[in-house]
Amino acid sequence: MKIKVLGIAVALGLCNFTASADENLLGYVKGAETLPEGSAEVYQFFTKRSGKTVGHYEALDTKTEFEYGLTNAFNISFALKGMSLDTNGIIIDGYMPKDNDFGWKLSGLEAGFKYNFLSPALDDFGLSMYGSMDYSWVDNHSGQDKDTLSLEMMMLMQKYFLEGQLVWTGNLGFEATGAKRKAIAGLPEDFEWPTEAEMEIELIAGTGMSYRFAPNWFIGAEALYEEEHETEVNLERYSWFAGPSIHYGDAKWWATLTYMKQLKGGGEKFDEQTDNDLHLIEKTEAEWRLKFGYNF
Amino acid sequence: MRPLPSLIALGAAATCQMVYAADYLTVIEAQQLLFPSAVAIDHKVAISDEQKDQIKSLAGVRQRFDEQEVYKMEKDGNLVGWTIIDNVVGKHEFITYAVGIDATGKVTGIEVLSYRETHGAQIRMQPWRDMFVGKTLSDKFKLNKDIPNISGATLSCRNVTDGVKRLLALHQVVLQS
Repeated sequence: MKIKVLGIAVALGLCNFTASADENLLGYVKGAETLPEGSAEVYQFFTKRSGKTVGHYEALDTKTEFEYGLTNAFNISFALKGMSLDTNGIIIDGYMPKDNDFGWKLSGLEAGFKYNFLSPALDDFGLSMYGSMDYSWVDNHSGQDKDTLSLEMMMLMQKYFLEGQLVWTGNLGFEATGAKRKAIAGLPEDFEWPTEAEMEIELIAGTGMSYRFAPNWFIGAEALYEEEHETEVNLERYSWFAGPSIHYGDAKWWATLTYMKQLKGGGEKFDEQTDNDLHLIEKTEAEWRLKFGYNF
Repeated sequence: MRPLPSLIALGAAATCQMVYAADYLTVIEAQQLLFPSAVAIDHKVAISDEQKDQIKSLAGVRQRFDEQEVYKMEKDGNLVGWTIIDNVVGKHEFITYAVGIDATGKVTGIEVLSYRETHGAQIRMQPWRDMFVGKTLSDKFKLNKDIPNISGATLSCRNVTDGVKRLLALHQVVLQS
């Protein structure tokens, strides 16, 4: 019987098919499933970051990603990142040296992998490891020139309930970053804009639930905690974001829209911010994220 | 339940199948594939909470619906088995399939009526479906052990596999009682 099962499995495995195993039900918290061998998916992310309680701050991040299933358990991905920024009336010593306004431009590259240890549908609990290497040349807070190299490693967990109608996902990981800013001419003498190499490490934890309330439609909620440490001040920042998401998934494509509001934040603050319960130097009051995925 | 004349039964079956946007098979086509030349008699059953508990206890998975679309299959007035139409959760939509169970409680086959997922079309292929033939409630129904998994369609495979076992439990609890 085992030989027969193996034979059928091999026969089935030889068939070429497209996949949506890595369909993103939520905007920020990642699932543990991988694309099957030989299948591919293209993603387009748009993230709008806005609000620092004073002045005007609006950034739009884009990410265009291609993911490919090398094996059923191992996926690789490559992404191009871009951003636009419009900020005025916000000067933060060491972070935001001047007003800035530019349209969309390419800002970075990312290469990643995902390896699946346990399948949520087969093993009752899904577990994958995700890793990515990111290089960017634009500071995504100020829009100034800054070379940044980041390594992110994360454990992705996933659990099905109600035969898969309700899905829990959890993420736990870290990001190590090395960065070096370019000098800026014309800054006030007392304005701090360090140009020596800096190192930071960020801890990331996320959790989310998604429920299919009608065919093809999921409603969800997610929460994300991040804290960043660096040599000089140790805990530089922390933030709690949470919000709802809605997802539509079809056989060929899917879309997810998520709103995340900063509920609580701390660490470094700037004098002018009017809400001292938030971290608003590297984060904003809220984020919107719209994602599309297409299988082929 | 009083058997309907076969023509009326077939008409009723045709009406029932209209509720599905059957992508591949109608209910009538599935009945004919599972029990060639048998007559289908509408035998829709209401399932009590107590029976749901019994089904869950036997199959290990819950009976989601209060009603189940069931057809008594007869040849020359004799019972040859049952065709049960079921829906299980797929990635995006319900997967609609039919299971044939003979009078002794063995699976005679499964047919997929509707499958709208991105991948896992192999579920509709004969080799995968044939893995269920002859199975009884006493079998394990372990995905990736006695039923092969299809990569990228694991949730669909699992829910169909669990579904067939649940229908065997339903057969024992509701149809054989």
